[in-house]
Amino acid sequence: MSAAVATLRRVGFSREMVLLAVLIMLVVVMALIEPLFLSVGNLLNTSRFFVEVGLMALGMTLIIITGGIDLSVGSNLALVSVAVGFSFAAGLPLPLAILFGLVVGVAAGFFNSVFITFLDLHPLVVTLGTFALFQGLAYGLSGAQAVSNFPAWFAYFGQAYLLNVVPGQLIIFVVAVAVVWVILARTSFGRYVYAIGNNEEAARFSGVPIRRVKIALYSGIGLLVGMAAVIYTSRVSTARGDSGLGLELDVISAVVLGGASIYGGSGTIGGTVLGVLIIATLRNGLILAGVPSTWQLFILGILLLVAVFLNEFFRKTEE
Amino acid sequence: MAEIREGTERGGPSGTLRRFLARPEAPALVFLAALVAVFSLASGSFFQVGNLESIVSSVAVLGIIALAVNQVVLCGEIDISTGSMLGLCAVAAGAAATSFGGLFLPLLAGVAVGAVAGAINGLLVTLGRIPAIIVTLGMLYALRGVILLVTGGTWITGIPNETRVLGTGTVLGVGYPMILLVGLFLIMEVAGRHSTWGRNVFAVGGNRRAARFAGLPIDRVRFLAFVLVGVFVGIASVIYLGRTGSVQTNAGAGLELQVVAAVVIGGTSISGGRGSALAALTGAVLIGVILNGLILLGVPSIWQDAVLGSLILLAVTTDVVRRRLVGDRA
Repeated sequence: MSAAVATLRRVGFSREMVLLAVLIMLVVVMALIEPLFLSVGNLLNTSRFFVEVGLMALGMTLIIITGGIDLSVGSNLALVSVAVGFSFAAGLPLPLAILFGLVVGVAAGFFNSVFITFLDLHPLVVTLGTFALFQGLAYGLSGAQAVSNFPAWFAYFGQAYLLNVVPGQLIIFVVAVAVVWVILARTSFGRYVYAIGNNEEAARFSGVPIRRVKIALYSGIGLLVGMAAVIYTSRVSTARGDSGLGLELDVISAVVLGGASIYGGSGTIGGTVLGVLIIATLRNGLILAGVPSTWQLFILGILLLVAVFLNEFFRKTEE
Repeated sequence: MAEIREGTERGGPSGTLRRFLARPEAPALVFLAALVAVFSLASGSFFQVGNLESIVSSVAVLGIIALAVNQVVLCGEIDISTGSMLGLCAVAAGAAATSFGGLFLPLLAGVAVGAVAGAINGLLVTLGRIPAIIVTLGMLYALRGVILLVTGGTWITGIPNETRVLGTGTVLGVGYPMILLVGLFLIMEVAGRHSTWGRNVFAVGGNRRAARFAGLPIDRVRFLAFVLVGVFVGIASVIYLGRTGSVQTNAGAGLELQVVAAVVIGGTSISGGRGSALAALTGAVLIGVILNGLILLGVPSIWQDAVLGSLILLAVTTDVVRRRLVGDRA
């Protein structure tokens, strides 16, 4: 096996190349199964479904690089969706309602970070608790009702097309990718993120403001979740307490598939974007091929396990 | 909190009280007693043998699974796949019940399926070196997929009465769910104190490196803990089957959260090495009392998740605050 890895390295092995190859293979297979798949219309349409997961995956990449995790993103999305929908239904002008939603998203993320930094609790436990809390708040505050009488212009975030072909949210995603990439790869903040993930103790002694970095990261993913929630609510034209149920699995799978180590210290934005694309292609292809959504969960669950296993396997052989 | 600290430093006469307060499940027990007192005063029907037993019976499934997950948490790992696992075990037990009847075969089917699922978790964590949270998150979804695959989305109904006895039957007026819960609790309490594996669990969770240097079989200890979860989920699935009389495809959905909540609310430390079977039992009963109390107070059930989440956060925060106040000794 190590000989095979060595050969791969000689021909320019890198995780991103492998992921790209997997993606291309997947697209070819899907195109063979379902000719409709490879139409420009469908490919662009696919982007409608991965932008929400993609936005959250960007923030999750940074958090996983620090060795943390956020299980509450799906519930937070529901909470923001309810906050936007129900503050609008209560008479708040829609632009303010959207702003309020974003504030709720950031506040929820900040809430996580307070427990994680000031109490030194493991992010896993904290976000498992807030996973239930945010979900419960979303259900409770909405009274298990839905809001859907949004004005027509609200559809812009999730349903509009630019030049009749490019979905509006794709632009938002591309901009977000660029911003987060710059932050991670070109700023000292990005170096701090890697430093914390590689050795938090060493980072602390080197003067990295660990607490502030973590607060920024968890609040930041709250903002990304807020944006995703607005797009989601606009796309389905409904604000409900069960929006985003189970999305954390897609998000974490995409990040891990993209090569971020669940133990922290490594991961790239490029890898995550490829991971998001692979999962989106898989989901879209499975839908086109008529595979029921329950099966998709099963496949995603297995995919997550295989991805983590391969990741750690390759990492060991690389060392 | 301050009281404990003074007591520890003075070494005063209140030794028994101090030892009690230093136990991991003490805050939960005090909270439970206070809650029972409040509900008893608020409603005359609360503090009656019938209602108390019905509360314990209603948390039997949760409590039995929590007793096993407690061992996993004590090892310093976690298992959040139990909700789907319960569903799958119930499907297996239900299928065996409708085709063969009796109690033994359904129980065997449930336990066997649970043990296999638990073994997969354990193998992926120990040999695969994948973090338990990822393994069991993946399994939570994969097992739910298997349920839908096996059942084709249809319910299993018509469970014969002889299979339902574990959920509905009584011995000398005490329901089977309560007997099983208390029995398994006693086994886990004794195992935790007196069996080699039970002691090893604490050692592995308390300081894994020290346990390795002491030559303990770390992987085997953790693997067995995950298998134990499967076995207990299998037993619980037959109680579930008895109580509900049918299996839906979403059986057990969301249970994994209540289980983890029960364990940490009871006082078992999420970072491992500190806790007890009594903590898991106390946590489960506490959740049962709170859910029962919410109904009593007329709180809509849609708020349950929010209450549960707040309780988890409250419990882990209390744990941290206490450790800061009295140090790791308590």
